[in-house]
Amino acid sequence: MVQIEDWFVREVLPLEAALTRFLQRNWRNEAEINDLRQETYARVYEAAQRERPILVKPFLFQVARNLIIDRLRKQSVVSLESVADFDWLNVSDDRPSSEAHVAARQELRLLQSALDELPPRCRQVVVLRKVEGLSQKEVAARMGVTIETVENQVAKGMRLLTQALGGRRGVVTSQSRRFNFLRKPRDVR
Amino acid sequence: MSADETEMQAAQWLAREDRGLTPEESDALDLWLGASSLNKVAYLRLKAGWQRVDRLAALKRPALRVSERAPIVLPALVAAGLVLMLAGGAWYFWPALRTAVDTSSYATAIGQKQEVRLSDGTRLELNTNTRVRASVTATVRTVTLDEGEAYFDVVHDAARPFVVYAGNRRITDLGTKFSVFRYGDDVRVTVREGRVKVEILGQAPQPVVTDGGHEVVTKGGETLVLTKPDADIADDLSWRSGMLVFKEQTLAEAADQFNRYNTRQILVEGNARKIRIGGSFKADNVDVFVLLLHRGFGLSVNDQGDRILVSR
Repeated sequence: MVQIEDWFVREVLPLEAALTRFLQRNWRNEAEINDLRQETYARVYEAAQRERPILVKPFLFQVARNLIIDRLRKQSVVSLESVADFDWLNVSDDRPSSEAHVAARQELRLLQSALDELPPRCRQVVVLRKVEGLSQKEVAARMGVTIETVENQVAKGMRLLTQALGGRRGVVTSQSRRFNFLRKPRDVR
Repeated sequence: MSADETEMQAAQWLAREDRGLTPEESDALDLWLGASSLNKVAYLRLKAGWQRVDRLAALKRPALRVSERAPIVLPALVAAGLVLMLAGGAWYFWPALRTAVDTSSYATAIGQKQEVRLSDGTRLELNTNTRVRASVTATVRTVTLDEGEAYFDVVHDAARPFVVYAGNRRITDLGTKFSVFRYGDDVRVTVREGRVKVEILGQAPQPVVTDGGHEVVTKGGETLVLTKPDADIADDLSWRSGMLVFKEQTLAEAADQFNRYNTRQILVEGNARKIRIGGSFKADNVDVFVLLLHRGFGLSVNDQGDRILVSR
């Protein structure tokens, strides 16, 4: 069980930036990207419990693709706008998976800019906790706030930073495209 | 439970973990994690992300440079983007400027589009498989649409009416933006703004004058004027951005549209022709369209290279 968690963290999660790009290209509704990503992860995780895929990246993308197709099928009215540019045709994402092994320097730079975009109080908590290495309790004392506040800001910072590291910054504005519909055949016997 | 809610719960658990869990909390966390793979992956993801943040410790000494350095990144990106946009813009407009001459023919191949700027400032956008002849002189401005479809953004000049000939029709611009599509003798005029006059050549003048939000459909001697909402007009003109927009159209009609833009022709057979579809597609993306027909409707697709047979 723990092995599978290690595998997931080591092999799958580093692909998040690529996965996010893939989902954004293939699904118009920006608001649903998080949802698709999480569902993709859950499916990969469950599949890996039965059998560990050998090639992780193609497998991850295949799962994402199938998920998109499933979603389209489930809707009796299918929004074709959702599937944007249909990049799933290009089965393999050929980009070298450099994002899996970002150089330490680059990672630090990425973190710095992500950190800088945090709301001020959240940033202060993260800096005290992660850079200065204070405990949550010490952070609370230093800032003169309750430990609950620190805990909430930690939770918030964790989400925003993980999001930024995974290729999305805060709220991503999506193009407001009109939705059109592909209907299931009705007038055909 | 939405992904965001799950993620928020996971973050709360991790934040509690970060400050230290009581044994009861630890049990509750195990329960929560065991409840669903969605919980599990959200937890693992944020945990890994939070661990990556540990690298920030490298910033500890000397003094924090975080807020001084980071802002450089974004303006640099914006600047780079701007340069690209400018370069792109020049690339896009230069051919149009170069081809601005007084009397000329312009043509596009299947799947191509071209923008043409006439010497009076009028702008034409030629759609796929289109041939036009333009003549701009001191007294007259005419464009003859021999085949295909073109969008006109006309610079109004009361002294020099702008006239489009298409089939047996004469379309006179009264200062406007409109599009003319010709297929054999069928002519369709879609008016986005301003007013146009549509006449039949060689007949007693019984012109139809129409303004923005209308479409004039003609066939032989018949002329029909339709009122269209702006959104529908925009759909009709979506080819300008390389998109085909369908609304409740039959598959046969949609295939006809695709076939205008591609040498590989889609042939829809049998009762599949009557299936109604909607959506917007890149006009040059036939493969995706038929793939979707296959996956979405379970239609069989037989790709023979230069033609693609689609049937039930």
